[in-house]
Amino acid sequence: MRSQAATHNGTDSLSSELGLPAELSQLAVARRFATQAAAAFGLDGDGCYEFVYAVNEAVTNAIRHGLPDERGLIHVSVSEEADRLTCVVRDCGTFIPPAERLATSSEPDVEQGRGLKLMQILMDEVQLRTAPGSTVVYLSKVRP
Amino acid sequence: MSSFYISDETTFEEAATGGVGVFLAGGEIDYAASPQLKEHITRHIKAGTQHLVIDLSPATFIDSTAIGVLMGAVGSLREAGGGTLSVVCVHDNVLKIFEISGLQAAITLYRSREEALSALTMVG
Repeated sequence: MRSQAATHNGTDSLSSELGLPAELSQLAVARRFATQAAAAFGLDGDGCYEFVYAVNEAVTNAIRHGLPDERGLIHVSVSEEADRLTCVVRDCGTFIPPAERLATSSEPDVEQGRGLKLMQILMDEVQLRTAPGSTVVYLSKVRP
Repeated sequence: MSSFYISDETTFEEAATGGVGVFLAGGEIDYAASPQLKEHITRHIKAGTQHLVIDLSPATFIDSTAIGVLMGAVGSLREAGGGTLSVVCVHDNVLKIFEISGLQAAITLYRSREEALSALTMVG
């Protein structure tokens, strides 16, 4: 069910994409994919850990709160452009702001709502682009 | 595959009798693993453990859902009879996540299990 492709777009950019079944066991797969991308890009130990951590959080949110596409997949892609490594995590769910979600959740508030904040602290740039039936998170790390 | 595991260092009976329960959690604690962590903590509290020491020395990755479980455990132990949560952590990357997530302010962190247990002995 997984598809992975690496393509060179010109001389200074590289991208690869992974289609992940929306299952908890795929989180480890997403982390391996992010680790390989961060190492290939040349992030150091701390930078690599931070990148992988943020990608794991975004994929967790997609599996936990989002919806897969018609093939049952969440899409994770990584691209390099000059000194910037960007991971895009895409699902087909409609984004609900954490505060709104917490108000209707059965789990205690103290146990939730940290993922996005952690992504923002760990990455150089986090963008959330939402539309009905589409939630896309952009996570970027700039090479030190 | 995620490499998460839990290993009891005290039996539930010992923990209930002595008040101090210790277990080891290692590998990668992500959203797939955090329900098992939560269940184990809940079993300890139900069995009568007052002070819980979770040795995370072999844990290399702890996601936000596991951080949430640990935050929840602090409140549950306190409400169950003034108990406490002590966490042993040695990995700098994991410690950094504890710090930026605010967990570090809510729990007592130790660099070794011996340190955590000796602090409990001094208090108790």
